[in-house]
Amino acid sequence: MALAVLGVSHHTAPVEVRERFAFSDAEGVAALRNLRSETGVREAILVSTCNRTEIYLHPATEESAFQAVRSVLQRKAGPLPAPVTEYLYLHRDQDVPRHLFRVTAGLDSLVMGEAEIQGQVRDAYQRAADVDLDPSLAGPVLSRLFQTALSVGGRVRNETPIGKGAASVASVAVELARKIFGGLNRKRVLVLGAGETGELVAEALGRHGVEDILVANRTYERAEDLAHRLCGHPVDLTDIAQALRNVDIVVASTAAPHAILTRAILEEAYPDGLTSPLLIIDIAIPRDVDPSVGDEASVFLYNVDDLRKVVDETLERRKDSMSEAEGIVSQGAAEFLAWYSALEVVPVIRSLRSRGEAIRKAELDRLFGRIADLPERERAEVTTFSRRLLNKLLHEPTTRVRDGGAEGRADDVIEAVRLLFGDHGVEFADDSDSTEGSGRESGPTQSTNDNGDETA
Amino acid sequence: MTHFIAVTLYIAAFVLWIRPLLDGERSGGMNTAAIVAIVGIAVQAIALGAFVGEYGELPLVGFAPSLSTLSLTTGLALICALAMGEGGRIAVLLLPLMILLEGVAAVLGVRPAPATLDFQGAWFALHVTLAFASLGGMAFAAAAGALYLAQHRQLKNKRMGRVFRFLPPLATLSRMNRVGVVTSLVLLTLALGLGWAWTVRFRHSLQGGDPKTLWSVFIWGVIFAAVVARKGGAAAERRGAVASVLGFILIVLSYVVVRGAAEGGLFL
Repeated sequence: MALAVLGVSHHTAPVEVRERFAFSDAEGVAALRNLRSETGVREAILVSTCNRTEIYLHPATEESAFQAVRSVLQRKAGPLPAPVTEYLYLHRDQDVPRHLFRVTAGLDSLVMGEAEIQGQVRDAYQRAADVDLDPSLAGPVLSRLFQTALSVGGRVRNETPIGKGAASVASVAVELARKIFGGLNRKRVLVLGAGETGELVAEALGRHGVEDILVANRTYERAEDLAHRLCGHPVDLTDIAQALRNVDIVVASTAAPHAILTRAILEEAYPDGLTSPLLIIDIAIPRDVDPSVGDEASVFLYNVDDLRKVVDETLERRKDSMSEAEGIVSQGAAEFLAWYSALEVVPVIRSLRSRGEAIRKAELDRLFGRIADLPERERAEVTTFSRRLLNKLLHEPTTRVRDGGAEGRADDVIEAVRLLFGDHGVEFADDSDSTEGSGRESGPTQSTNDNGDETA
Repeated sequence: MTHFIAVTLYIAAFVLWIRPLLDGERSGGMNTAAIVAIVGIAVQAIALGAFVGEYGELPLVGFAPSLSTLSLTTGLALICALAMGEGGRIAVLLLPLMILLEGVAAVLGVRPAPATLDFQGAWFALHVTLAFASLGGMAFAAAAGALYLAQHRQLKNKRMGRVFRFLPPLATLSRMNRVGVVTSLVLLTLALGLGWAWTVRFRHSLQGGDPKTLWSVFIWGVIFAAVVARKGGAAAERRGAVASVLGFILIVLSYVVVRGAAEGGLFL
């Protein structure tokens, strides 16, 4: 085989290092063009997300190709706290499909089972396919690899619970809001405080189409700043009751040392009782919302521990379904490898048949030379007979060679063909012929980072 | 025989519907469940159509035909719920009710009642059909109300497990509950109005002591109370859900009592 992937991910590098390897779309395309011109590697796809940057290559067996990829990544990252090889990992050959399929299925993600990666892998593949190069960077092998990866990712998400449930505080908040209000498009959110987690929750709600986001903070300028980022409006923190009257969801994350939303304030806001349900997400420590507020039947109050418990339960459930998901990944990898192995024997089959065809034509010419007055009709009959004879003779060997390749015994069947027909009879494929097959030489399977450490 | 086929299809649909609850996260199969339920409703409609063809009357008189018709109107309410996306999950409550109604009807045998009523013809058909549709609407409201209370409980107790994920949003359930009780009240009001108009037109007086009349007025009051309970702010949604569930239970219990009291009569 001649597949490889070099990359950096959350397993091998902290965020401040990972972000240095992040490629924009244009930078990624330029890097792939450079790689082809520098190394001659025909197929290459770059996957760059916030948690990983990986370059998939085919055919790639030479250390020089890997060195070129390291150089590309090093150039992108610039000076790093440690040598670039400290952060990089390398998977080769049969480990590559398994790795990519796990990545696409979200099994290798920071938050296991997250769905975004599926789209990011699809985009990476599409970008490589769209690059105006001939032959395409997304050639037959990497195309098949990525298409299978997307199919495996889809299967894992459809057939297992790995991607179900909320796995972050923000997504729990969104799920709660959806289960209370249905659609969020006419809902208004009040953000108390300008904390980072509060902003993330408000952003997530914003992505789900809430109508307006009001931001209240002790410092009005910070409220204005956050409101601007969230496309919302700043409001005065001193009059929470007034702000409460017009909202459906409250996200509280101030640094106040005491509760700023009490039962008294709620009653001041709604002297005749709530007019619609109110969801309050209190992610502040110490809590911003007095627990007695949650006693109101139409108030759904969740603090940070409640949300974390849900996240933990979701991740636990996802872990439970890991083995099922891994089974689908293994099945997909086995199917890809069978296809790939069959590809290795294609040149042998082609050579075998062309050799047979050459012999057939030579013998026919000799025969027609000896019987020069053979009528045209008989000539056609003899030609058809010779073709059918050749096809019948080669049918069984061809099938067995193809099956042997698909079963991972390409080396054995190629050796058998060599033994039976000899090197003169059959020309064997060159390793560099990636389009027709990657050659019969199967390099040592590795799954190590560049320092020789084993990776997951 | 056709009624038994309908019951079997309802049971199959119900089993398919509760699978996501039992399996946890997998939601596949609910589309199949919906199709099976709709086929069941169609089969039941064919069976009742055959009844009309064979006996030349609508299946509105007699215990078994009435139960079967009530099951069908509940099924039609279910089809409306299926059109509401996640709201279709009230099938987990409506299907058992349909299985019970149609199952009892099938076991008893859907045949015309031996005696005849004075009150017949188009007036009667419309009157009873509207009453059945009203009860179907109330069953719909009660199912939505029960699921609302279950989801409300999940949210207040901070349980975000299988039940939480399976149940539709509170807003959807509340809307379904409102539509159910209001529709039920309007239809029953029309049904009672027709009955009253017929009585005044042909008998010139209303028989106040008739258990059927008393029961009709009683259930109108119950449904009216369920509608009134929804008046007010956010707390009214929950109050309305409780009222519609209790109201439906009251209607069923009172029916059993009144039917027992009118044994041998033509009460449904």
